[in-house]
Amino acid sequence: MDNPESSEINGSNMLSTTSWCHPANKVHRFMALLLMCFLCFGSYFCYDTPGALADNFKDDAHLNTSQFALLYSIYSWPNVILCFIGGYLVDRYFGVRLGTIIYMVIVFVGAVIFALGAYINAFWLMILGRFVFGIGGESLQVAVNSYVVLWFKGKELNMVFGLQLSFSRFGSTVNFWVMEPIYRWVANYYGGYERLGVTLFLAALTCLVSLICGLLLGWMDYRAEKILGRSEEQTNEEPFHLKDIVHFKSTFWLVSVICVAYYLAIFPFIALGKLFFERKFDFTPQDANNVNSMVYLLSAALSPFFGILIDKTGRNVMWVIISIISTIGAHFMLAFTFFNPYIGVVSLGISYSLLASGLWPLVALIVQENQLGTAYGICQAVQNLGLATVLILAGVIVDKYGYLMLEMFFLGCLFVSLIAAVLIYIIDSANNGVLNISPSKRESMKIYPSSSNEETANLLENEESDNHEETDSRRPDIVETPPQRDIAQAQSDRIRSRYLSQILPNTNIPDRQ
Amino acid sequence: MLSLNKVTIVQTITLIFALSFARGQDRKINATLYPGCQVCTENDTLVYIRAEGAHNTIHQLWDFTGGMPLVILTVAGVNSTMNITWDHTTPVKFSISEQPKYSFATAIDKLYEYDDIHDNGYIDEKVPKRSVDLWRATWWPHSMVLTDQEVMVQLRGHVNDYGRSGTIDIKLDMLPFQDYAAELPHLIHTANSTLLDVSLVNFTTSPDYNASRYALNLLMVSQDSSNSTMTTTVRKSLDDEHTPGIFEIVEVESPRSSSGPGAYVQFRPVAYRQRARDVASSTRARPSVPARTRIPEHSTLRAFYRGVDPSTLLVQNMRISFGEPGDGFYAHHNYTAWSASLGYGRAPVEGFSALVVGIVACGLGAPALLLLLGGAYACASARRPPAP
Repeated sequence: MDNPESSEINGSNMLSTTSWCHPANKVHRFMALLLMCFLCFGSYFCYDTPGALADNFKDDAHLNTSQFALLYSIYSWPNVILCFIGGYLVDRYFGVRLGTIIYMVIVFVGAVIFALGAYINAFWLMILGRFVFGIGGESLQVAVNSYVVLWFKGKELNMVFGLQLSFSRFGSTVNFWVMEPIYRWVANYYGGYERLGVTLFLAALTCLVSLICGLLLGWMDYRAEKILGRSEEQTNEEPFHLKDIVHFKSTFWLVSVICVAYYLAIFPFIALGKLFFERKFDFTPQDANNVNSMVYLLSAALSPFFGILIDKTGRNVMWVIISIISTIGAHFMLAFTFFNPYIGVVSLGISYSLLASGLWPLVALIVQENQLGTAYGICQAVQNLGLATVLILAGVIVDKYGYLMLEMFFLGCLFVSLIAAVLIYIIDSANNGVLNISPSKRESMKIYPSSSNEETANLLENEESDNHEETDSRRPDIVETPPQRDIAQAQSDRIRSRYLSQILPNTNIPDRQ
Repeated sequence: MLSLNKVTIVQTITLIFALSFARGQDRKINATLYPGCQVCTENDTLVYIRAEGAHNTIHQLWDFTGGMPLVILTVAGVNSTMNITWDHTTPVKFSISEQPKYSFATAIDKLYEYDDIHDNGYIDEKVPKRSVDLWRATWWPHSMVLTDQEVMVQLRGHVNDYGRSGTIDIKLDMLPFQDYAAELPHLIHTANSTLLDVSLVNFTTSPDYNASRYALNLLMVSQDSSNSTMTTTVRKSLDDEHTPGIFEIVEVESPRSSSGPGAYVQFRPVAYRQRARDVASSTRARPSVPARTRIPEHSTLRAFYRGVDPSTLLVQNMRISFGEPGDGFYAHHNYTAWSASLGYGRAPVEGFSALVVGIVACGLGAPALLLLLGGAYACASARRPPAP
């Protein structure tokens, strides 16, 4: 499937390409796209159910904030490792169809165990459920990304990535909107922790729906493979080369610092936000969930625009610094004023989208192309490690020192990331680097490897990079490269596609990848 | 230049530390147990504290001899003294050497058990309720500290009123300087106030009530016009550092507060349903609007205010109800604890801790400095001719 033309080659088929049943037909592919959008909906939906029911977890299951935060933290633990091997397993052993279904079953089982834990009020079972859910959740995104590449490579790839991930992120938003009414409805029939359990069982149904979509898509893919005569490629190469680490520049490590420190001020905030809005601003539970959902909603809506903005203006480091400063402003407002929290949260959402659009392409500018997979893997792993540990800490802070201290902690993290961003700026400008110049200047600077240039374009630009892989393979210089390089190139392409999700801001739920 | 800077920084830091850890005594305190009583035993608890300040002296009485827990603060001249006349083990006369400037008394005269059928978490006129009078409660002190650094008593009261019984644990604590209470909700102590901590332990609930909750009746007496009224304000605070998750502070102030110094009752609207106090075991404590009432018979209050013109006494009561919807009512844990501070003057306002100020200062300072230095460096290197 690496050959971009393969989707256009019609193998021995009885169907005409004009029939909507034919895998190459637009309508057919659109149906596949719809299913792909729903693949991750369930896992994103269920990821934030504790956040949307935070007060009910406190009242019904009698969890304190530390225990509650552990529900989120435990999700991130397996992903410190799994983000390195989840995709590898799909490529090497499962194949995309089986892999997707396996991960979906894990996600569904995890959600059901979690709900069961709430239903019988066994905290350890809830934790186990979230752990299992975490094992599946992150790798599922990787597998779904492979699906997207398989079906849309060379055509509308970035747009499809964006759409699929926006829609997944929308799952979190919907979760914040609907869990409270569902809980109230369930409370008519059940009481105590049982109503919490039943509500979570209902939430787990979204994972079942996603699983059904996965099975349907698996069947469609199987059929497409036969009709199009496509064969799934198996790779024997290790996707990650940890020995590359030693060659990484200091700026890369500073970017990783931002990856960890910045996101620590976003995701734990959303996880613990509901009670904060209820207690500090006297919001009703539903209002608290609505304001909490704004960050995800905004990032889904704004990412494309910020992507274009940064494509046109370049100067990524400047944008990163600006967005960190405005995030600091937003948290300041939430911590030290009683202004309507919508102001703070909306500016948080905007800055967060802007940061993601500016930050993730930086990695591609810093790291050589064949090491990108490793680089993104490291970013993700440290991010998960940071989240896993800090979420526990955040819960303890809320229990012992209150929400103001939690906000102070978030501000502290943001200050660290601001320092890192400023250091990147200083180091880069001292070395006449490319990180903070406009695209036209980047174009004119031939000192940089040409592939990196295109990488940037591809990572940033939606419309232009659509045919990136296609043009890439048609370019004479690539054709002339020795086969070894070609394999590495293909490998890196695949890994990069996987991490495109990181680049589109709406997907930058680090532990969701 | 650098060393000079260092010295200044060290000096500043030392100063900050000195300021934050200084516990200069605001008042000189001296506590005695049942002063002047010849026949009292350790089970007759009346603590008298003389807290001498620069401009006045606050005489505090912590009295349990009348059954209901009672705290009276009387403000008089710096050199004023108080004498108590006893009839056997009952205080009958309190005489102060100077005309008192002000006095404020707080008592818990009864508890209410109410049947919260609609699970609202507060008592109102509509819910069925029964009162538990405390004037017949018997008290045993089980811990007492009477030093010039701290005055603290802990008593256990047994209540048995028409078949309902239970234990009330009360702690009264006073410090000669300002500090936060050691236990949640970490209220502010000052030298002008006393911390009251009440726990209702293992109270039996009426069999015909399905949704029993408890409330306590806080009786407040101040030397103000009987036509005036106490004001309750619920203040929003940015800082929940000392009481995690609670951003509100309730202040009941006597009328003189607005013009001159009056007295206050300050508390966080939170109660705890388990001995180990934390966010998970917290529930709401909701005050009612203060209402006019009279000083109860059989009380030390009556003896204290004997001879005072009733038109200059403002007597009001306020019910504090504990519980919030869905918490499983009182019987779920058979425990409710609540704290308030009772004091003279303006209610203290909590400030941001040194840690908060430090984080903000460092956080804003360091990147700004870095940006400045980096900018300067970038400018300097840009002007330099490029290396060959």
